[in-house]
Amino acid sequence: MTSNQYDAIVIGAGHNGLIAAAYLARAGKKVAVLERREVVGGAAVTAEPFPGYRFSQFSYVVSLLRPEIIRDLELPRHGLKILPLPSTVTPMDNGDYLAAWDDHDLSRQELYRHSPLDAEASDEYGRVMARAAKAIKPIIGLVPPDPSSLSLRDMKGLLKLGQYGKSLSEQELYRISKLLTQSAADLLNEWFEFDPLKGTKSASGIIGTFLGPNSPGTAYVLLHHYMGEIDGAFRAWGFCKNGNGGVTQAIASSARALGVEIRTNAAVQQVIVKNGRAAGVALANGDELQAKVVISAADPKRSFLQFVEEKHLPGDFVQQIRNFRVRGSSGKVNIALSELPDFTCLPGEGPLHRGAISISPSMEYIERAYDEAKYGQFAKNPYIDMIIPSMIDRDMAPPGHHVMSCFVQYAPYDIEGGWDDAKRDAFGETVISTIERYAPNIRRAIVGKQVITPKDIENIAGITGGNIFHGELLLHQLFFLRPAPQWADFRTPLPGYYFGASGAHPGGGVMGAAGKMAAMEVLKDWK
Amino acid sequence: MGANNTFDAIVVGAGHNGLVAANYLAKAGKKVLVLERRADAGGQLAGASFDGQAYPPLHAGGRLRPDIVRDLDLARFGLSDADSVDAVYTSMLPDGRTLSLSSKPNDAKTLESIRQFSAKDAGAWPEFAAFMDRAAAFLDAAYRTPMPRLPNIGLAEGWPLAKLAWTLRRLGGRDMFRVIRAMSMSAVELTEEWFESEELKAAIAAVAIHGHTLGSMSAGTGYTLMHNWLNRGGVAHRAPAGGSVRIAEALVAALKSRGGEVRTAAAVAQIVVDRQRATGVRLESGEEILAGIVLSAADPRTTLLGLVGAPELPPEFVWHTRSIKMRGSQAKVHLLTDGKHGIPAGTVAIAPTLKYLERAFDAAKYGELAERPYLEVTTAGDVVSIHVQSAPYKLRHETWDTARARVEQLAVDTLAERFPQLKASVRSLRSITPVDLERDYSLTEGDPNHGQLILDQMFFMRPMPGWSTHLTPIDGLYLCGAGVHGGGGISGAAGRNAAQAVLKAK
Repeated sequence: MTSNQYDAIVIGAGHNGLIAAAYLARAGKKVAVLERREVVGGAAVTAEPFPGYRFSQFSYVVSLLRPEIIRDLELPRHGLKILPLPSTVTPMDNGDYLAAWDDHDLSRQELYRHSPLDAEASDEYGRVMARAAKAIKPIIGLVPPDPSSLSLRDMKGLLKLGQYGKSLSEQELYRISKLLTQSAADLLNEWFEFDPLKGTKSASGIIGTFLGPNSPGTAYVLLHHYMGEIDGAFRAWGFCKNGNGGVTQAIASSARALGVEIRTNAAVQQVIVKNGRAAGVALANGDELQAKVVISAADPKRSFLQFVEEKHLPGDFVQQIRNFRVRGSSGKVNIALSELPDFTCLPGEGPLHRGAISISPSMEYIERAYDEAKYGQFAKNPYIDMIIPSMIDRDMAPPGHHVMSCFVQYAPYDIEGGWDDAKRDAFGETVISTIERYAPNIRRAIVGKQVITPKDIENIAGITGGNIFHGELLLHQLFFLRPAPQWADFRTPLPGYYFGASGAHPGGGVMGAAGKMAAMEVLKDWK
Repeated sequence: MGANNTFDAIVVGAGHNGLVAANYLAKAGKKVLVLERRADAGGQLAGASFDGQAYPPLHAGGRLRPDIVRDLDLARFGLSDADSVDAVYTSMLPDGRTLSLSSKPNDAKTLESIRQFSAKDAGAWPEFAAFMDRAAAFLDAAYRTPMPRLPNIGLAEGWPLAKLAWTLRRLGGRDMFRVIRAMSMSAVELTEEWFESEELKAAIAAVAIHGHTLGSMSAGTGYTLMHNWLNRGGVAHRAPAGGSVRIAEALVAALKSRGGEVRTAAAVAQIVVDRQRATGVRLESGEEILAGIVLSAADPRTTLLGLVGAPELPPEFVWHTRSIKMRGSQAKVHLLTDGKHGIPAGTVAIAPTLKYLERAFDAAKYGELAERPYLEVTTAGDVVSIHVQSAPYKLRHETWDTARARVEQLAVDTLAERFPQLKASVRSLRSITPVDLERDYSLTEGDPNHGQLILDQMFFMRPMPGWSTHLTPIDGLYLCGAGVHGGGGISGAAGRNAAQAVLKAK
């Protein structure tokens, strides 16, 4: 069976897995990607739960995907097309709204209407955050050195980090130190006064995180969302043509063109270990595939607690992976609509429908939503981030009809009593009735509705705990601590076994950096 | 008064940090004057007296760092070694059981007490306590290391930092990463990695959030646990024989023997600044006293915006000073009883579950009094002192005029649930609300730490970015209170660090 013999096997055809495979194939390796599901894409998939209505099932916007990956893998040639999401509108409880349009002067006027002080502060805030994001960006592409090691490679890494630190100005250093440690609420309260503005901005600090905006550490998550760019436009967010499945389809197409073999319906049972080295994988159907190296793009828990027998890993490491926090905190409601939601704050079809609509009237609103989740309930008044992809890409829904994607937080994975159909229905109903307060026609417009809980994310996309980042972006789970101390360089305690997914440095958000860096480290070690 | 009224250094505030700084300077031969607004020296360690009745100081425990006791020869001035006190921390549970923890890692009684709840946890306790001791020792080293201004770190500033990094590495890979991770973790996450029993986790998490406006689920409470563990020398408060008031008394006696002066009932109205240089102070009485340098042990906001004044300072600096998070959320209720209160000696906590602690914090977060507050109780003879956490300075629906009676009742009712004989034994009651803390103790927003101990306000960011060196934009004005590096809690580290910075600058 020579066809089951590879240089490298990648477990999981999410964007990171596909990117790792593509880079290895580009270096001339014979690579197979094994995907448990019948479709490729992982959590970046487009599904059609109701005929004619297509949804980005889980992740739904792009911005963080590394530009060098787009270039190296020639993704535009393989169909990647990103359409801008030009605005964010926050409906307010008094019937008014706050809008950030793609026109700077218009946005400023709009904010000025609510708070002259905030309008004054806003430009400077944007500049400061962009500078901080730019300053911290080089860290993303750095393989984290192990500060406890005296090896040449780690010392070089630490030196590089030191040089990087030296390159920053005093102001940048302090700004970054603060952003790494403080709460989104403290950060925003220093700058702004208008509640809907602070609420909407703080939401970036809690996405995928089981913390409220008042908890220290959330400013970093906010900064993480500032690191994106589209065609060089810093921190712009966009929507992928054909949904986020379009991203992974393009990567898969590029990988295939480079000679990567992608097998779907190929669930990995276990990594085969021979002479203390990863030597291949055994599939659930009994097939065995051999390879010189195995790279896992699954989450850390599956990668180390499920695929590898405990005896092959040091006890300390296993314990650290067990301690890795993967608390899912968000859900998704995908709605097929016969008409556009009609928002009372901006009646009729308008530019707001082409951008994000954010239910985030204040930071306290979001903090209270978190309070419910920390005691094991989904939020009765959740934060919702809505976009209507069919307004940007008409192919997503039948003519005249629409699809709306609602990202909802908080919904705890560990809901009291566990998730079941009744709770899922109640969660969906809560989301609809929350939207209904701002867009009263929503209920009659619904043609179909798909409710996804963190438990569903785990079941369908295979992410343990249903955390969209494969593990929260908490300070103690970043950089040289991600996914475990001393193993943040994409290697693992099992020789020949590598780890390159969102659970590795630099974390999630359809960035692709982990997949690329893992492939580069594999190539460095290749003998 | 002429030359008599001129000093090498004036220290504003006779809290323990002010007194420690004054002692170091006096020891180096400086002529030092400490000015205290209140009638007694000691700040949070000064004894309180209401209607002729003496009450223990605000702070129930307290240990100065051993190197300070040594440097200042405080044993000679009556300060005994608090470490010899066998301190016990007892968590009172609703079902009548108690969990008693001693700070000694292998204490048989502690292990037996934990075993009631989990044999596994009893097995893990000695290693946990030993780890916490090592983590606290590292933190102590960090608090001793001067925090330079970034990024201009020359050899002189870099060397102590390199030594600190080496101290961290010497802990070994395992402990080193444990310490680094614990810094930003929540107390819940940290305790979950060690223990399974809710009672034990909650008892430890309570220590982590004590004195801070944070919940046990807030990130960064792993760090405050290490901090409080260091200052307490474990989980229970420890005070020297005679109570924590002895610390202040010893510091005053030591200072006087070194030729220093302490004037009480001498409130500073203004730090006098002439061409960006501090030249002395003006008292509320109108008297002016001149000095080569001025150290302020008051909190940074009081010092800079109150005593110096914003017009003397760069605008960006003023903005940073205003942005310091103060946030006091604790009240004290002293009960004078007939002695039959039934409360055991040591530190007693009402902190039954993690969710209980978190819900109490939730109330404080929204400016409300917690209906089920987290309490920590110490006794001194007939006096029962209740520390009520989750009593926020900024109340949303009422003022402290009306809230005072409620917090008193909540404290007594909650404690009486565990000690039924308490109510009958109470003779009189005195409470100190966050507003009292601000007015009577000059603690801005009632924050006992002069600024929250959150990571973005620690180390080289304490009290604010760029000013971790104890200097201020005013030449000759230094900060030496709990709001600067080393500070928070009773340890004296901030005062020591500031004095050393002053002496090095000369």
